[in-house]
Amino acid sequence: MAKTRWIPPVVLCVLLFFISHEFIYGVEEKSLFVYDLFWLKDFLCKPSGILSCCSMFFIQFLHIPWLGTLIWIILLILSAELTRIVYRIPVSLSALAYIPAAIFVSYNMSVGYAIYLITLQGFFFIPVLGYLWALLTVVVLRKFRNPVRLAILFVIWGFAGYYVAGFYSLAGIVAACVDTMFSDRSRSCRLAALAGTVIPLLLAPVAFLGTTTYNLSNGWIIGLPEKDFGIAPLKMQFPLMLAMALAVIAPMYKFLSRLSSRKAPMIIQTAALALFIAIPSVFWFRDDTFKAESGMIHAANNQEWKEAVDIFEELQSKHADDPTWQPTRVLVLLKDLALIKTGQESERSYSFENGSRMQNNDCIVPMSFQIGKILYLNYGLPGICNRWCSEETVLFGRNYMTYKYQSIIAILFNDTNLSREYLNILKKTLFYRKWAIEQLKLCDNPGLTAQTKPYDTILQLMCYDDIITSDSEGCESFLARHFNGPKPRRATPLYDRVALFFAMDSKDSDLFWARFMAFLDSNPASTVGKYYRQAAYLFSVINKSSTLETLPFDDTTKELFSEFMEKAFKVGNVSLEEARQAFPANLRHTYYFYFYYVNELQMF
Amino acid sequence: MKNRILYLCSLAFLAACTGIPENCSKGTDADIFPDYTDITVPVNIAPTNFLIQDNADRYLTILESGNRTVRVKGEKVRIPIRKWRKLTSQGNITVTVYEQKDGSWVRMNPFMINVADEIDSYLSYRVISALYESYNRLSINQRNLTNFKEKVVYANSMASKGEDTQCINCHSFKNWRTDNMQFHIRQYLGGTIMYRNGKLQKLNLKTDSTLSAAVYPSWHPTHDYIAYSNNKTMQNFHTSHTNRIEVFDEFSDLILYNLADNSVSIIENDPDEFECYPSWSPDGKTLFYVSANLGSLKEANRKNSTIIANSNGTFKYSLYAKDFDPDTRTWGKKRMFYDAAALDSSITWPRVSPDGRWLLCCLSTHGVFPPNQDVSDLIIFDLKNGTRRYADELNSSKSESYHTWSSNGKWVVISSRREDGLHTRPYFAHLNSDGTFTKPFMLPQKDPEFMRKFMYSFNIPEFTIEPVRVSARKLASFVKSTDASPVSFEQKRGE
Repeated sequence: MAKTRWIPPVVLCVLLFFISHEFIYGVEEKSLFVYDLFWLKDFLCKPSGILSCCSMFFIQFLHIPWLGTLIWIILLILSAELTRIVYRIPVSLSALAYIPAAIFVSYNMSVGYAIYLITLQGFFFIPVLGYLWALLTVVVLRKFRNPVRLAILFVIWGFAGYYVAGFYSLAGIVAACVDTMFSDRSRSCRLAALAGTVIPLLLAPVAFLGTTTYNLSNGWIIGLPEKDFGIAPLKMQFPLMLAMALAVIAPMYKFLSRLSSRKAPMIIQTAALALFIAIPSVFWFRDDTFKAESGMIHAANNQEWKEAVDIFEELQSKHADDPTWQPTRVLVLLKDLALIKTGQESERSYSFENGSRMQNNDCIVPMSFQIGKILYLNYGLPGICNRWCSEETVLFGRNYMTYKYQSIIAILFNDTNLSREYLNILKKTLFYRKWAIEQLKLCDNPGLTAQTKPYDTILQLMCYDDIITSDSEGCESFLARHFNGPKPRRATPLYDRVALFFAMDSKDSDLFWARFMAFLDSNPASTVGKYYRQAAYLFSVINKSSTLETLPFDDTTKELFSEFMEKAFKVGNVSLEEARQAFPANLRHTYYFYFYYVNELQMF
Repeated sequence: MKNRILYLCSLAFLAACTGIPENCSKGTDADIFPDYTDITVPVNIAPTNFLIQDNADRYLTILESGNRTVRVKGEKVRIPIRKWRKLTSQGNITVTVYEQKDGSWVRMNPFMINVADEIDSYLSYRVISALYESYNRLSINQRNLTNFKEKVVYANSMASKGEDTQCINCHSFKNWRTDNMQFHIRQYLGGTIMYRNGKLQKLNLKTDSTLSAAVYPSWHPTHDYIAYSNNKTMQNFHTSHTNRIEVFDEFSDLILYNLADNSVSIIENDPDEFECYPSWSPDGKTLFYVSANLGSLKEANRKNSTIIANSNGTFKYSLYAKDFDPDTRTWGKKRMFYDAAALDSSITWPRVSPDGRWLLCCLSTHGVFPPNQDVSDLIIFDLKNGTRRYADELNSSKSESYHTWSSNGKWVVISSRREDGLHTRPYFAHLNSDGTFTKPFMLPQKDPEFMRKFMYSFNIPEFTIEPVRVSARKLASFVKSTDASPVSFEQKRGE
């Protein structure tokens, strides 16, 4: 049986290879740890703020996913092994000590899309750190045998611990009390522990009210995720409460080894092992779309546009055999942006599947929270990007990415003092310091901005006259409204390219021709890619336009159109799914297919 | 010769005692943050700690006033509060910064901190993230201006629950005292929180006959009235402009709340006018307010019209005055006080000095909400001789907006974004007898770098002469446990 004790730690280590780095990047990018006392003070002034802070300290290492997850796994193993040691759980029942760790794994790995909506800063490491604090509470309070001292220490530790770890500390106090009850200590010690537990348990949240500004009704669960934006609080809170409840009842595990039946420990260990493996397996959020979205967001945040296209392509190829598969709008919009950024939209944009599949998610994540800032900044709408950075900051706390985007916006606006403020914060972080120092050079030499990536292309798209507006209709519709609106007087070649792309998406013939002519005016003729030619040919045919004769359409464009129309007459008016099955890839990946069959996409 | 050596030795000894470096070369102006050079401060203000931004190996700052000298080492000049008090009690302070570079000391040009009249001891403000529609962390705080202590008056986190959040705004005090104060809570557990002589009330100031809940209060100085405006406010965002956000109204009227009989009545509700920002004269017999005319846009969709008018900068507010008899609660006719719209400007936030002589307002190109407009500046009217001028000594290239007079009328606090264009900071300036102001200085902080690192705005600064009397905890408990009670509507009297 002793051999089975190695199974849980080994399984946890193996997990290292299964944790999606894309998700891990998301956790890191939505956190912040600044090596500055000023920033730390903000957390130190509220209960469980220290726990949040410590968690964010560890989260920063997720920047290197294997390193951060290794630290996490080590902490998980440590928490389980300490549970075993502290509660003297026999080796034959060691798997019991690993069940809280399994819950923490499943909790973190089940977060999924809720990562965009969680308001608890540092949620990733908080459970395991909180659990360790609870164990420390048990160890410290076990050392005293004098009832009076014990009661006093329970109260002092209870209040001080609440300040450090909130809910986890209260759970730790209860665990210490239960531990005392099941120990060989005197009756007066037990009474002292009970009294010393009740006081902080009832009063600790009230005691800090005078100095902090939390809602008292949340006082007892401070440190747990709150009821956040459509995420069922029970989903986020119950697993953690359960894990802490296991810590509370752990002192009773030792009695299990005294069961008369010889087989009992073996059965319990086997059951615990099964639970240990089953809990994460059942609740682990496995969704390749979410993974791809996270990967593309990470790539976009780092301006690695080729990488973003590759991720989409890889996902699409995975589902090549599934005619019903559709990408989500998040994937499509990021892919389109990446193609524009890499100058490939005219040659590749319609070679990818289109669609508006719903995200596999039980809470609705507004697109603005997920990719709003990426789209708006890179499409030359820094004001709207700034708005979503601000909203994100207010709702979910400051993070590396909001500071990064707001620094870029301030530099674009030539707000030197403001950009320095943001960059000086990032300069005091471990992994964004280098980036911040690079950008600070632009504050000193604003003339370089227009030649520096990503500012160059963003500035080229900021060629319109500023307007006051709102994106209340959703990111995608707003972008379409922006680029399909009147042509700016100072339109740049890049702006004309993007506007043409949006005009093609709109399927509006008049708009297309206006944009196409503008594009031809400002861009070299050699850049009229195959999809532009297809669109021009299609609209010429539809409009019976004379341009059909005047424009130099190549044979491939014409032949493909004939082939497509021939097939379309045979297939008829069918749904997108049916059309996908009916058309071969060469015809499916055309503007003609998009024009006739990709309809009624749900925009967000 | 002997005497000369003795004299030099004495000088050297004195220099050693005062710590003044010997053989200094003459430098330029020291680069300090916040800019406290040649400012005038109230005698009772907290130390004006500052950061020396010049690159040097060592720093020494000498502050001298009368026979007092204070030496502070290091780039962060934190002046001990007791020593600061002794300095200010002696009169104007000369500050000399010494910087050691490559082993030799440089004496930077000294600057003055002039000491003038006392200021009210407390300043209340809203701490708010810049530019947003969401509000998860929002509080009304009160700072003791004589030291660095700050306390929370009320924070929305004390009552919010997850998605059920509150916006809190418009904290306001009667006659700079805290026995009569109010603020609004919007949305979750919303209402106007009224604290009057030890008693708390939560009111719903929206009636069937008024547009919305009340906003922008002005306590009547002698009677139990509060003038408010009723606004339906919207926000839109600039696509690429440093102003970033535009706040404007779809509707607005003026109402009077009578605390004695718990009723509201209309002051102005012309459907074609957007009346806003009521503000009483110190005698309570005139109400100043601003108003914009919907004009030719009224035929079109009103919401779209206001959006368009604000977007293209054609929506402009002018300043009006209206006589009032507080005993009979009767109103005179409204009269145009300053036709800003005709001058292609928009005027907001009229505030009359306690002696009734000066009227300070914001002037910008358009709209009703100047904090987000870089072009917003302060303009001062001399009500005695009818002149007006831009208060250039208070203005900067960034937005200057919400301003309040101290109870003695000697000081104003203004809200300025001059530091970074985004975060609003309180600045104080002394009013000279000729109606000019001294150079504004930023609210002093214990850590001089605070304002560089604090990513929140200080909004609606309001002076009081005493601390808020009710605790945040009591307020939160009251907010959570009490429903807003209705008020009655009363027809307008007079005109």
